[in-house]
Amino acid sequence: MSEAVIKFEKFYYGYINGNVVLHDVNLQISKGSFTVISGPSGAGKTTLCKSMVGIIPYYYGGRYAGDVEVLGETTKGKRVSDLSMRVGLMLDDYESQLVSLTAGEEVAFGLLNHGFAPEEVATRIKQALADVGLPGRENYQLDELSGGQRQRLLLASVLAVHPEVLVLDEPVSAMDPDGAHALYKLLYKIYQEYHMTVIVVEHNINFLLPYATNMIVMNKGKVAAQGTFEEAAAIAYEMPELRQNLPELWQVKLALENRFGIALGAWRNEEDALKELQEKFVGGGL
Amino acid sequence: MIEAKAVNFAYHRGEPVLNDISCKIEDGEFVALLGHNGSGKTTLSRLFMALLHPRSGDVFVDGNNIADLEPADLAHQVGYVFQNPDLQILEDTVFEEVAYGPRCKNKSETKVKEQVGSALAAMGLAELYEAYPRTLSFGQKRRLGVAAALALNPQTLILDEITNGQDEQEKNNMMAYLEKLNQEKGITIILITHDMNIARQYTNRALVLHNGDLVFDGATATLYDGKSELNEWGLTQPIVATLSATFGVEAQNAEEFCEKLHLKEGVVQ
Repeated sequence: MSEAVIKFEKFYYGYINGNVVLHDVNLQISKGSFTVISGPSGAGKTTLCKSMVGIIPYYYGGRYAGDVEVLGETTKGKRVSDLSMRVGLMLDDYESQLVSLTAGEEVAFGLLNHGFAPEEVATRIKQALADVGLPGRENYQLDELSGGQRQRLLLASVLAVHPEVLVLDEPVSAMDPDGAHALYKLLYKIYQEYHMTVIVVEHNINFLLPYATNMIVMNKGKVAAQGTFEEAAAIAYEMPELRQNLPELWQVKLALENRFGIALGAWRNEEDALKELQEKFVGGGL
Repeated sequence: MIEAKAVNFAYHRGEPVLNDISCKIEDGEFVALLGHNGSGKTTLSRLFMALLHPRSGDVFVDGNNIADLEPADLAHQVGYVFQNPDLQILEDTVFEEVAYGPRCKNKSETKVKEQVGSALAAMGLAELYEAYPRTLSFGQKRRLGVAAALALNPQTLILDEITNGQDEQEKNNMMAYLEKLNQEKGITIILITHDMNIARQYTNRALVLHNGDLVFDGATATLYDGKSELNEWGLTQPIVATLSATFGVEAQNAEEFCEKLHLKEGVVQ
């Protein structure tokens, strides 16, 4: 197995005055992977994300057992700012993460707080804005940007510190399908260009089918399946209550494989699926 | 019944948002209002409850022209659930939030408890009645918005993107409940959505807006027959609909689709 950038070992967690929401979580996220975390609401996906970036336990407190290692170091006793240089986080409610008046100031915020020299800050702002398709918008007021552009600006401000790991918690939950496709396409391009490790929590996993290398499926606070995307999908399919958390094309693929005892290709888009289905099947059965 | 007659609308100094829209939604219909971002869906729906007024043309709710009406005048007829649930939250607990509407209508406390209880149960929020609404998840806040609208027992419910951010199970639970409400109580439902699967499974009629024009008004099923200009209108055909159309079978989900296929001769098992 390749090097793990994030490792959970026998990790349990409960919020203050709350029930235990993560139970005996054991998982590894490989360096350079594009991992999607899927599962029903309330499965513990967001809590898992917060534990990966040190917000849990530093900010929330609560009760926990076991350990979370990020880039070789335990998160116990670490402040969020200790990790934020190496692990970037983008939340579903992106507006709540924007704090400045202009796009340039927004990207500069994190860099200046980390003590970068002004020349370096200017260079990184320029590059980060260009990376997310907002070149030259340093002086734009935030309210001159559309919702989708503000979301990309947030991505730029996270990218500007050059994190090794990027964690995104339902980044497209407030976007329409076109916006969601565009953001994930952009994210994948950045992932390839900078050789980062990307972890995305997403309800609508259809958006990520072309990109995911690995998958973790959570259910009721536990890891129900993990591994390469193909392995985890096959495991999750065996649990009927989790099938709906798989991409629709894979629900079709795995159902047909089970029913007819054949092996189909590892479809990553509609064209692949249609081509193979037309070669092997005809309609009107039963 | 809601009727728009030759409605035109533009925001202050802005480009036209709606162009000469005419349509009639009868009581008891389950209608999908579809279109890409910025096509005018939310604007049109806001005219249906007098949150906005047309620049020209008329909107009638149960025969009354909304020109002289305010949203409060229509609150007992038309319930509206906003796309951003945070805009609708006023109170400190989930119970109080849902009770706000019925109390404004001077319902007795017994009646308030009954209506709030059934609305919260319907949206799967019964156990959270004491929770502070701002601490709920995005999906839970959306369901809270729907519960608050339901507690007023409106004749028409307008729901703006309520399935965004919900998992499949939650989506299906919510839609099954709305379907029951529509069928058993005859409540008119206007569902603004980008989710073409939901529109396909639950609604009977679809209105499609494209750049402010009403470009389609007909049975939802006919939208997916491969002939309509879905791509041109910025809409995506659901995967199962594409597969079903390709193989000439009728299926609502992946499982149904698979049951209707069989292997070609010569394919090695």
